[in-house]
Amino acid sequence: MRFTAILAAALLWCSTAAQAHNFHVGLTEISFNPRTGSTEVVHTYTAHDVEALLMNLYQRQFDLGLEEDQAVFRRYLEKQFRISVNGKPVALQWVGMQANVDSINVFQEIEKTELPAGAVLMDGVLTDFLPQQVNNVNVSGPGRPAASIVFSRERREQPLP
Amino acid sequence: MPALALAGLLVPAAAYADDPFMQRVLVEGARASQLGAADSAGMGSVTQRQLEARTIYRPGELLEATPGLVASQHSGEGKANQFYLRGFNLDHGTDLRTTVDGMPVNQRSHAHGQGWTDLNFIIPELVARLDYSKGPYNASTGDFSSAGATAVNYSSRLPQDQASATAGQNGYGRALLAGSRDGDDSGGTGGPGAWLYALEAVHNDGPFTRGDNYRKLNAVLRYSSGFANNGYSITAMAYRGAWNATDQIPQRAVDNGLLGRFDGIDLTDGGQARRFSLSAAWARSDERNTTRANAYIINNRLELFSNFTYFLDDPVHGDQFAQPDRRVTGGFDVSHSWHDHMDDMAWSTTLGLQAQNDNIFNALLHTEARQVLATVRADHIVETSAALYLQQRLRVTPWLRGEAGVRLDRYRFAVGAARAGETLASPSISLAFGPWSRTEFYLNAGRGFHSNDARGVTQAQDPATPLARSRGLEFGLRSEALKGLQTVLALYRLDFDSELVYLGDAGSTEAGRPSRRYGIEFSNYYKPFKWLSLDADLAFASGRFRGTASSPGAPSAGESGNRIPGAVEGVAQLAATITPSGPWAGSLRLRWFGPRPLVEDNSVRSKASSTVNGRLAYKLATRTTLELEGFNLANRQVSAIDYFYESRLKGEAEASAGIHFHPIEARSFRLSLNHAF
Repeated sequence: MRFTAILAAALLWCSTAAQAHNFHVGLTEISFNPRTGSTEVVHTYTAHDVEALLMNLYQRQFDLGLEEDQAVFRRYLEKQFRISVNGKPVALQWVGMQANVDSINVFQEIEKTELPAGAVLMDGVLTDFLPQQVNNVNVSGPGRPAASIVFSRERREQPLP
Repeated sequence: MPALALAGLLVPAAAYADDPFMQRVLVEGARASQLGAADSAGMGSVTQRQLEARTIYRPGELLEATPGLVASQHSGEGKANQFYLRGFNLDHGTDLRTTVDGMPVNQRSHAHGQGWTDLNFIIPELVARLDYSKGPYNASTGDFSSAGATAVNYSSRLPQDQASATAGQNGYGRALLAGSRDGDDSGGTGGPGAWLYALEAVHNDGPFTRGDNYRKLNAVLRYSSGFANNGYSITAMAYRGAWNATDQIPQRAVDNGLLGRFDGIDLTDGGQARRFSLSAAWARSDERNTTRANAYIINNRLELFSNFTYFLDDPVHGDQFAQPDRRVTGGFDVSHSWHDHMDDMAWSTTLGLQAQNDNIFNALLHTEARQVLATVRADHIVETSAALYLQQRLRVTPWLRGEAGVRLDRYRFAVGAARAGETLASPSISLAFGPWSRTEFYLNAGRGFHSNDARGVTQAQDPATPLARSRGLEFGLRSEALKGLQTVLALYRLDFDSELVYLGDAGSTEAGRPSRRYGIEFSNYYKPFKWLSLDADLAFASGRFRGTASSPGAPSAGESGNRIPGAVEGVAQLAATITPSGPWAGSLRLRWFGPRPLVEDNSVRSKASSTVNGRLAYKLATRTTLELEGFNLANRQVSAIDYFYESRLKGEAEASAGIHFHPIEARSFRLSLNHAF
C-alpha cells in the first residue's frame, strides 16, 4: 500500500516539519496628484485574503469583477479605513476597484484637497480577520517627507506625518 | 453536519485564509473550480448566484443544482419531496443526506418514510451556498449519505436587504422580507456582530381540481458575531405549513374517463407540518488549528393523511391512513483539525465527534375523512447515535493528494420496551492526481450505511438490519483544460446490503434485498462568454437486486425479477443562462427524467419525461427587478411519479393492479417584483 506508506511518512513529517509562514500584507499609497489637485489613495490587498474575508462574513462567493459585488467589499473597506482630522471624518471618495487572480486594487481620493495636517488614519483592513495582517501605508505629498507607517491589529490608529 | 465538519479543510465553507486546500479566488463569475480541492468527481459547490438563476417551483428543487439529482412531488405541496439520484428512487430522502446549517434534515424512523426530508422550511434567498458530494467516500457524513450528501448553508448577512412579492397562476402568492443589520465594531478585533432576519409567507393551490390550499409561514432570525472561522452564531427558525393533498390516482380511472388528470379521489387527504429549531455554531481557527462546534435542537410535528389504495382494504370506510409524527431531535457535532504545510506539501488531520438523539412519538392510524377509526400501531421511539471519525488529508505535490478516513457509528434503538443496537465502522479512501494541466483523476473507495426504521429493527420476528451497509467504488475525472469549460466524468459502483423498498399500497418502506448499481455521470459547465453559461448534466445508472431465493428478503411469489422498482435509469439537465450587462437576464432549463422499472420483473415501466422551465428578469432600476418564471413551458402531460400496485375504487367490484400516477404541474407562470434596499 503505497498510499499508506505516504500517509505514514507524512505523519512523521508532521512532528518535525519546519515552521511554515504565510504573509498577509496590504499596501496603501497616499499621494498628492498635482494635475488633479486631489489626494489619491491606492490600496493593494491579496485577492486570496479578501476572498477569505468575504467568505467568512457572508458564507458565499463574490465576483469582485462585478460592480454589485464590489459594493460588498467597499462597505467593509469604508468602515475599516478612515481618515479624520480633530475627530472629524475626511471625505474619501470611492473611485473604483480592480480585481485579478492575485490582487485587489482599490482607488479612493480626497477630492481637490491636499492631505490636511494632523490627519489621523484608522486602518483596520483585514487585521480584524487575520491576526498576522500587516498594512504598510506610504504617505507622500508636496512639502511632506515621504513616510511609511505600519498598521496591525495592535496598531489600528496612528497620526499621519 | 457533514459539509461543515469537512469544510475547514476542503470546500470554501470555512475558508481559512491560510488553508492550503482552499480554492483560489473567483473573479470570472464561473462555477467554483474544484480543481485542487475536491476529493471526488461527485463533489462540488454551487454558488449563490447560480442558485439565484435557477427556476424553482418549490424549495426542494434547489437541490437539483446537484448534477444528476431530481426532486419531485407526488402529493400535497407541504409533503417532503421525492428524490432521485445515482439510480436510486430515494423516496423522501433515504440515502440522500441533507443538512441545513449543520442541522440534519433527514428524520430517522419517521412515520411515513425513513430519512424523511422536508425542505419546505428553506428560504432560497438566504442560501449562500449548496455543497454536495456523491458516494460514500467521506468520513464526516454518516447515515443516509451513500448516494449523496447535500449541505445548504445560510448567510450570516445579506449584501442588501430584500423585499419580494410574487403572484402566479394556480393561486400562487409569496411575500418575502429579508435583511441583515451589522452591529458596531468599535473594538475592531472580534469582527462585527450581525442580525439576520427573514419572513416568508406562501400560498399555492397547484393545478389540482381541488386546490392544495397550501399555506406556509416561515421565519429565520440569527445573531452572529465575528467570522465564520472565528466567531459564533445562534439561529432560530420556525416553519408552519398546512395543505390538502391530491395523491396518486389510477391510470385506469383516467383512461375510462372517470377522473381527470388533476382530480383526486379522497378529498380529505392532506396534512400539516411544523418545524422549530434553535441552533448554535462556533469556530476558532488559526494558522494550524481549526475547531468547530455546533449544536441544535429541533422540534418537528407532522400530521399526514394519505389514501393510496382508496377502498381496497376497507370497502366501507376507505383506506385513508394517518401517520402523525412528532419529535424532538437534539445533537451536536464537534471537530478539530490540525493542518500545516511546507513548500508544496500540505496535510491536515481532523478528529470529529457527532451525537444525535431523537425522541419520537409516531403512529399509523386508520382514518376516514381525518377521523380516527383504529390505531394500527402507536410507538414511542428513542433513537440515539454517536459517531467518532478521523480524516487524514495529504497533498504530496500540487498534482497528487489523498484523503483517508474512518468513521465509527454506534446506534441504539428503543421502541417501547424493545431494544436493539449496532456498531459499524466505515472506512474510506480517496486519491486525486492531476499530472496534466488543469485535469485531475480521482479514485475513491468507501463504505457507508443507512439506518433502518427503529420499528423494523426492534420487531420480534425477522428484525431488519439496524445499519444497512453500502460499498462504493469510483473513478472520476475533472478537467478545465479548455478555457471556460468544466467537465466532470464519474464511473461508479454502489452496493447495498439491503435496499429500502417502497411499498406503494402500504405507504411505507421496507428493508429489502441486496442491490448493486453501476452508473456514469457526465456533467459540463461551459462559460464561453461572460454573459452566457451552458450546463449539460447527464447521468445513467443500472440498478439490480442481487438476492437469491434462499437469501433473506428474497422474492416471494409474484416478485420474481431483479429490477429495483422506481430506480431511475437516467437523468439529464440542459440549461442556458444569459446574463448580459444590460437590464435583461434569463435562463432556460430542460430536465429529462429517465425511465424507471415499476415492478421487479420489469414488465411494467414508467416512461421518461421532459420538462422545460424558464426565467426572464428585467432590471427596472438599480435595485428593482421584475422576474417572470415559467414552469413546464411545453405543457407536457407527464407523471411526476408512477407506481404499480393494487387498488380499488368505490364501485369497483374487485381490486385491480395497475399504474398509479401523480401528474407533473401544468404550464404556469409566476411574476415577482424584487426590491433591494
